[in-house]
Amino acid sequence: MERRNITGEMSAAELAEVLANVRAGDSEAWGELYRRYAPAMFRFCRRALPTPEDAEDATTEIFMKVRQKLDTYDPSRPFTAWLYKVASNHCWDLLRRRRIRQDLETGDIETMPLEHPDPGQLERLQAEHSSKEVRTGLAKLPDRARMALVLRYYSDMSYDEIAETLGVRRAFVGVLLLRARHQLRDVLAGSGASGELGAAAGRS
Amino acid sequence: MNHFDEMTVLLYLEGQLDAARAQEVKAHAASCAACRALLGALESEGVWLRESLGAEDESVPARLIAPPERGSAPWGWLTALGLGAGGAYTLWTGFIEPWQAQAAQAGFTQGNLLTMLFFSSSFWKGWDAMRSAMEFTAMAILGLIVMWLLRRRFRRATTFAVVMAAALCAVALPPPAAATDTEHGHPNYTLAAGQEVKTDLIVAADRTVIDGDVDGDLITWSRSVTVNGHVKGDILGGGELVTVNGTVDGNVRATCQTLAITGTVGKNVMAWAGNFNLDRKGKIGGTATVGGEDVDLDGHVGGDLLAFFKTLDFNGSVGGNFRAQGRSLTIGPGAEIAGTTKFKGPNPPDVAPSAKLGGPVEFIRHERGPDRTSPRYYWHQVLLWGAGFVFGLVLLLIAPGFFYDVANACKKVGPTSGLGVLFLLALPVAAILVCVTIVGIPVGITALFLYAIAIYSTQVFVGAWLGEKILGAGVGFGPTLGRLALGLAIIRLLRLIPYLGALVAAVVVIWGLGALVLTLYRYMRPQFAPAAA
Repeated sequence: MERRNITGEMSAAELAEVLANVRAGDSEAWGELYRRYAPAMFRFCRRALPTPEDAEDATTEIFMKVRQKLDTYDPSRPFTAWLYKVASNHCWDLLRRRRIRQDLETGDIETMPLEHPDPGQLERLQAEHSSKEVRTGLAKLPDRARMALVLRYYSDMSYDEIAETLGVRRAFVGVLLLRARHQLRDVLAGSGASGELGAAAGRS
Repeated sequence: MNHFDEMTVLLYLEGQLDAARAQEVKAHAASCAACRALLGALESEGVWLRESLGAEDESVPARLIAPPERGSAPWGWLTALGLGAGGAYTLWTGFIEPWQAQAAQAGFTQGNLLTMLFFSSSFWKGWDAMRSAMEFTAMAILGLIVMWLLRRRFRRATTFAVVMAAALCAVALPPPAAATDTEHGHPNYTLAAGQEVKTDLIVAADRTVIDGDVDGDLITWSRSVTVNGHVKGDILGGGELVTVNGTVDGNVRATCQTLAITGTVGKNVMAWAGNFNLDRKGKIGGTATVGGEDVDLDGHVGGDLLAFFKTLDFNGSVGGNFRAQGRSLTIGPGAEIAGTTKFKGPNPPDVAPSAKLGGPVEFIRHERGPDRTSPRYYWHQVLLWGAGFVFGLVLLLIAPGFFYDVANACKKVGPTSGLGVLFLLALPVAAILVCVTIVGIPVGITALFLYAIAIYSTQVFVGAWLGEKILGAGVGFGPTLGRLALGLAIIRLLRLIPYLGALVAAVVVIWGLGALVLTLYRYMRPQFAPAAA
């Protein structure tokens, strides 16, 4: 699967040069790198974390980490993928610390039956909600569900990468994603006018 | 007929099925309209999710325009440290230094801090000193609000300027207040023999001599006070040397370096003094309550005697009961005690055989400070650890998010220690200031109560952080509790070490309090409010 293209992403040669300069301590190059990637990282944090302030703080902290860990980046792999890895580990770490009760709530997620969705209603739901509404709905999901959706549909991470980041078995990632999609549908159906889908998909 | 479930369809769409299974799904979808519809709906949902999440329709906050430099943005801890230093400076110049100056002038050695604190009202500096503290507190709060309002616009240069300006203001404030504070004692005051004061007499002088009569009370704060005449009321006094050679009909209450009574006190004596000397000719009609380093009692006490001391030489007479606690007690040959005799101390008293006692001396062995050889001491430590743990457990159950956030905030050493120092010093001062007005009393008392709880809870947060530092991050309830227990145990063990333990306790309080304040501050920032459901 192709990675999301970050607006203004540099060419491989250009990136390699900038990275080399950053490693050499060139603050101009660091500024360049930051300007290219900070907006995407901020959007990532904004989706992964519940409040804008958390996202701002996290973006700054992630770039601090990036600067420290730049030596561990393997240039043969995509830089964006590495960035998202650092970012997702950081955000998940933040969320994990606040989580106790949700562990109890989602303990039986694997066995919980999900109602079969009605394709017509599903399509109506998609048509009725703007991007902004989807993101607002996203903020209401439990941490792990939200994180799974963001990692998959914003950062385009593979199932293996998601499993590693969230610390779950690979086979569980699909369950997590499906469950999260159901929860998002419930939230949107609950806030929108389309009504019955929430009841059909069960509890949230 | 063999429909696929949603899970299989999702995995198929995401390319997670093996080739054979994927082929099966494809073949089935070609022939089954229901499954084809589901497949289509889920596929478009995937696209819709990608588009919604990927939309770049929100602006990046101004704060994020400049890249973070090496080391995290320092304005937070610079501010906190600046304010903390300013607060400490104000407290020092406004309160402690004048006290010490006054105390030194009054002949107190600086080691006598306890006496100073105990009688701090004698050093009351008036409202000017209070005002400077209030000004600082107000300024600090104002500064914090301004910074909070401007937090998004902060650039490093501005930040630095503001912090420096705030610190300078804080440092510049106290001097004018200090200039109005120092009021030197009057020169010598003498009430000559034959003269009479019909009312109460209040004297603040370097040297006070009362040879005449005072009809009311004598209230005096002087370096040396000598009463040769007759005081019909009480004597309330403080100073380096208080001598009562004459007659006092009422009580004597004094705090001083040396108190000598060779005359007669009609009622009770209550004294905190470095040296207390009741001369052989001296008489106290009522009870004597004495705290002092070296106490010599050769005269007569009509009522009970209660004494706390380092050494007490007793060679006088007591009409009531004798209660004493101290390092060493000597009961001389001329001693007479009508009632019972009780002594609490490390060693039995030295009693002369010819002393006339109403009964046998009751001796209770009592070591000063904790008895580290006794198992009970360690049992107490375990109980204290348990109390801390239970407190942490309750906190974790009531507010897990808060608990984690505070423990997490402990990582930020700079801001937490700065804020910790500031709040440790400022909050009680602010609370007491609030208590001055009647309306403020409940607020002030509540604040002090919460302050006490906050201070107690600091060990829990620092303990949780410490445990995590040692065992690594743990997720969930059990691991967190385990880390908390370990961290608390380590803190308690460190606190057992003499001297270093006190330092550890102080560091824990400052650090934890800072983390607590930092977290509360973060909570008070406006939260993201999702569109109304």
